[in-house]
Amino acid sequence: MTDTVAAEGVGDATLDIPANPPRRALGLHRELSRVWSNDRGWRGQVTAVNHTTLGLRFMATALVFFAIGGVLAMLIRAQLATRQGAFLDTELYNQIFTMHGSIMMFLFAIPMLEGLGIYLLPKLLGTRDMAFPRLTALGYWCYLFGGLILLAALAAGVAPRDGWFMYTPLSSAEFSPGINADVWLLGVTFVEISALAAAVEITVTILRQRAPGMRLTQMPLFAWYMLGTAAMMLVGFPPLILASVLLEVERAFDWPFFDVARGGDPLLWQHLFWMFGHPEVYIIFLPAAGAISTILPALCRTSILGYGGIVAAILALVFLSFGLWVHHMFAIGIPHLALTFFSAASLAVAVPTAVQVFAWIGTMWKGRPELALPMLYILGFFLTFVMGGLTGVMLAVIPFNWQAHDTAFVTAHLHYVLIGGFVFPMLAAAAWWMPQITGRARIRGLGEVAFWVILIGFHGTFFVMHLTGLLGMPRRIDVYPDNPEWEVLNLTSSVFGFVMAIGLALFALDLVLQATMGQRAGRNPWRAPTLDWAMSLPAPTFNFASLPGPRQVAEAAPDRTALALARGEGLLPGAPRGQRELLVTTAADARPDHVAVLPGNTALPLVLSASIGAFVLLMLAGLYALAPVALVAVAALAWRWHRGLATLAAGGAMVAVAPRLALPVQPGRGRSLTHSGGVALLVADGTLFAALIFGVAFLHVVAPGWPPPPAAAETATGAVLLVALAVGLGVAALAAHVTEARQPAGRSLAGWAVLGLAGNGAALLALALLAGWVMDDPTAHARDALRGVLAGYVGLHALICALMAAFVLDQIRRGEVPTSGAPSGWRLWQDFATATGLVAVAVVLGTAAVA
Amino acid sequence: MTWLPRALIGPGLWAVGFALVYGLHGLGCALGWSTQEVAGMTLHRLAMVAAWVGTLLACVVVVMWLPGGPDPTRRLPRIGAWIGLGATIFTLLPLLVATSC
Amino acid sequence: MLLLAGCGGPLSSLDPAGPAAGATAVLWWAMLIGAGVLTLMVLGLLAAGFGRPRPVREGRWTVGLGLWFSIAVLSALLAAGVWVGERLLPRGDAVVTVEAHARQWGWRFGHPDGRGGRIETDGTLHIPAGQPVDVIVTSADVIHSFWVPRLAGKIDAIPGRANRLRIEADTPGSFDGLCAEFCGLGHAGMRFRVIAHPPDDWPAVLETLGEETAE
Repeated sequence: MTDTVAAEGVGDATLDIPANPPRRALGLHRELSRVWSNDRGWRGQVTAVNHTTLGLRFMATALVFFAIGGVLAMLIRAQLATRQGAFLDTELYNQIFTMHGSIMMFLFAIPMLEGLGIYLLPKLLGTRDMAFPRLTALGYWCYLFGGLILLAALAAGVAPRDGWFMYTPLSSAEFSPGINADVWLLGVTFVEISALAAAVEITVTILRQRAPGMRLTQMPLFAWYMLGTAAMMLVGFPPLILASVLLEVERAFDWPFFDVARGGDPLLWQHLFWMFGHPEVYIIFLPAAGAISTILPALCRTSILGYGGIVAAILALVFLSFGLWVHHMFAIGIPHLALTFFSAASLAVAVPTAVQVFAWIGTMWKGRPELALPMLYILGFFLTFVMGGLTGVMLAVIPFNWQAHDTAFVTAHLHYVLIGGFVFPMLAAAAWWMPQITGRARIRGLGEVAFWVILIGFHGTFFVMHLTGLLGMPRRIDVYPDNPEWEVLNLTSSVFGFVMAIGLALFALDLVLQATMGQRAGRNPWRAPTLDWAMSLPAPTFNFASLPGPRQVAEAAPDRTALALARGEGLLPGAPRGQRELLVTTAADARPDHVAVLPGNTALPLVLSASIGAFVLLMLAGLYALAPVALVAVAALAWRWHRGLATLAAGGAMVAVAPRLALPVQPGRGRSLTHSGGVALLVADGTLFAALIFGVAFLHVVAPGWPPPPAAAETATGAVLLVALAVGLGVAALAAHVTEARQPAGRSLAGWAVLGLAGNGAALLALALLAGWVMDDPTAHARDALRGVLAGYVGLHALICALMAAFVLDQIRRGEVPTSGAPSGWRLWQDFATATGLVAVAVVLGTAAVA
Repeated sequence: MTWLPRALIGPGLWAVGFALVYGLHGLGCALGWSTQEVAGMTLHRLAMVAAWVGTLLACVVVVMWLPGGPDPTRRLPRIGAWIGLGATIFTLLPLLVATSC
Repeated sequence: MLLLAGCGGPLSSLDPAGPAAGATAVLWWAMLIGAGVLTLMVLGLLAAGFGRPRPVREGRWTVGLGLWFSIAVLSALLAAGVWVGERLLPRGDAVVTVEAHARQWGWRFGHPDGRGGRIETDGTLHIPAGQPVDVIVTSADVIHSFWVPRLAGKIDAIPGRANRLRIEADTPGSFDGLCAEFCGLGHAGMRFRVIAHPPDDWPAVLETLGEETAE
């Protein structure tokens, strides 16, 4: 077994933390269970914030949506099996293919990878939970409620029907009356809250909660892949959220962002959508590749070949995948030179992918591959994904794209990439981690049959579909009466589609049988070298009775580690203070920094997401005047959320982690998990703002219908108010800085906090005056609509910062020692609000000057 | 801890250069730069090539500035710089041949 | 032969009838052969991976195969793609310029009548064979896409924009076309026809068309 020690664990020789004395494992287990367990009964379902519970719940819910999306796919295949399919009418067919794509992307793939990360990461990294347990729960509820809104619309026959990429003007109020498109825009955006929440806490958990001694350069590759995924989600989702907000505002309030007659441009939607949409493919692929990089070497009884090369490939993919989006838009009439940039970038992105594929095959050469069930799925992945990658390379070639774009060839390609690159690895991951999740061994036979049925069904469905597309069949048609030459091909796809569905049903049956009837699995049945197996199975809610340290990380021998940790020989054993505690380490070297206290079970995430859901439903119902009431509830709940954090961290004592090692509960300034999370969230927020500025520039330069008629806004009053806005935000930023810098002093801070409140208030007043007196009607032209959005963006942030200043003022009144969580949160957000506010003012003044 | 941000410099330069050239392309087509001749090529192509060469030089400077060595915390930033350089060369290479507007 | 027979059809991009579609089809067959070889290579390497462990050099896999081999293949492909793409662009003046105006759900075409006016038809576009023809594609409502697979690739019809696509038919004949971009309820039925006339007949065709539409 010496050869299983490798990249995963060389450890940090300079970091030596002595072991705690061993205790009775059962006593420790009970002590921790009292603190970490979910509440009993139905209450426990509602208040759970634990990552194991929520990770599994994310994945189980995603599988239900996968089944629903699969049934929709079968309806599509039934309709297309014959030329004159009379099975569905066109309206229903359009709703079904739109929902199939939307469900598979937003309600299956993304939540599935979030669930996998949330479940696995704390276990792989040697910690007890994600950084923000309540945020995990909030994400889950937003996902569930958003998904249910979409499903309810499908059941009621008012589901979205404009295709999963919702091209406007087809999805505009004029050509898509009714609430179908609103369901998509509001429902999917609601679900995206969970994507951002997961991205924030995955980033922070990987960077700040690795076991001491697990350097970034030695952490399991799965964590690298998830770090790349989370970073991409932080930057990839904001353009989609912005686009959805803009289109919803256009539909609801007639602000013309995409209407050519009034200075808008439908191509702005396409750019924003695909700025998200292409990175999305890699967001889905990276976690799957992470699973392969974890499973494959273990099943070959060796270590991964080319750890450094793979990390470099992830780095390249994270960046390059943001330079391909225009290849979805090759046929919109963009000049050839611009197309060739994106064609070259689309080809270039195949290089890091090839690096990974060859590193994996080299790993198999290096070791002795064992043909277990996960390996079968990995082989299915290789076959399918390589073919999908090659058709992707073909589609990157512009002339061929002009022919194949929007045909069944693309449908075939994307299913090869997504099923090959995500579903097959996820099936491998399920087979691999099911013993970890259930503590039970698989029943032999059924899984292998399911694999072959799925593989044959898949290729039978989609291989011929390439030819169907080349023979001219476009996407999204429901009948083809004049084209008998497509009929045999479509019938073949339909028949094998049902074969594939049967295979997936067998797979699901296998999972259920294993979970209910499988024999107990031994600890670490695969002899894997990672920490996720260094615990009793199924995993306890707290994962580790004591946390792994440099020694356990270096050993990479989960069997031995599990015993030592269960007996409390690791760090921070048990829960002697009756609270949920874990170790926070430094980002690169994983040196112990402080002990974080996490919040316990609470229904607050559920109530908060229900309030957001109320806002969404009020918007859907067209009750625009009532919708802000829901937002007041959201703000009040957010306040309570923050209070919870302030009281948790109020202790401030030193905590014994190991002999001769005590750490503070109170982190140094800017080192708390909350601070790291705030930075991550502001990266996403900043990307949203950048996308908005891109929108302004794009419409100014490219859209027909410019320049607009001269605006009244360019008056002296307007300029004065803009200056007032900037000054107000500047004063608030000064106040936030002083408050943070003088934090320990305490008494004299109240005046500064009031000043911060006043500065933000002045900014809001200036915005209100601008909106009421000076600004032009936002429905008149895209320029005025964009200014309205900029004002709304700045106003929202000034409001948030005003609330944060008020929160700090309240803390001073209560006489609490200002925790670094609250005031530094204000300073961080105030800096951001002031910076974006100044940019917005400059953009408005600059564009006015150019005009 | 500075090595992780350093690893992002190379690909970040590519992102900036790529966005800059694409932005100049859109701007130049809108402002009619493709009809103005300067130094044997159109003003439009000249602007884009200048941005490209500038990015390439910046990448080369970063490759030379970053210290080498077998330690992963030194290797990864350097590989990042090479990724930036390679991606900038490859993705903007068509600048030399394709029709601009 | 059977393979080629399976590639026929009124909308088949593999049965080209014009230079643009022809060049693209050649590109496709070349890429298909390349992709087939690469797939077999990867599968062969995978199969060879099963067996006893053997010493491997990391650089050979990640740098040799992963980096340089893929860059070599992709560079060749980029060059071929850009070269073919440049040849398909509308350059210089086409002999004939026609308009295709899309709406939910149908096509209206405009032709020059030779006297400075336009002749409009519904659902059928007339062009002279053997000559490059530029189609100006516009839309009245949502986004559509103009596609005649046997002649050339597609180009979108976008509100507020006029896109130009060059098509050419080698010989006289009738070619099917369709809307490729999803455009709502009538998307599947949004077909049209392109009739390529012998160049010598072209003035007479316009004459007849002008009389028909005048009636």
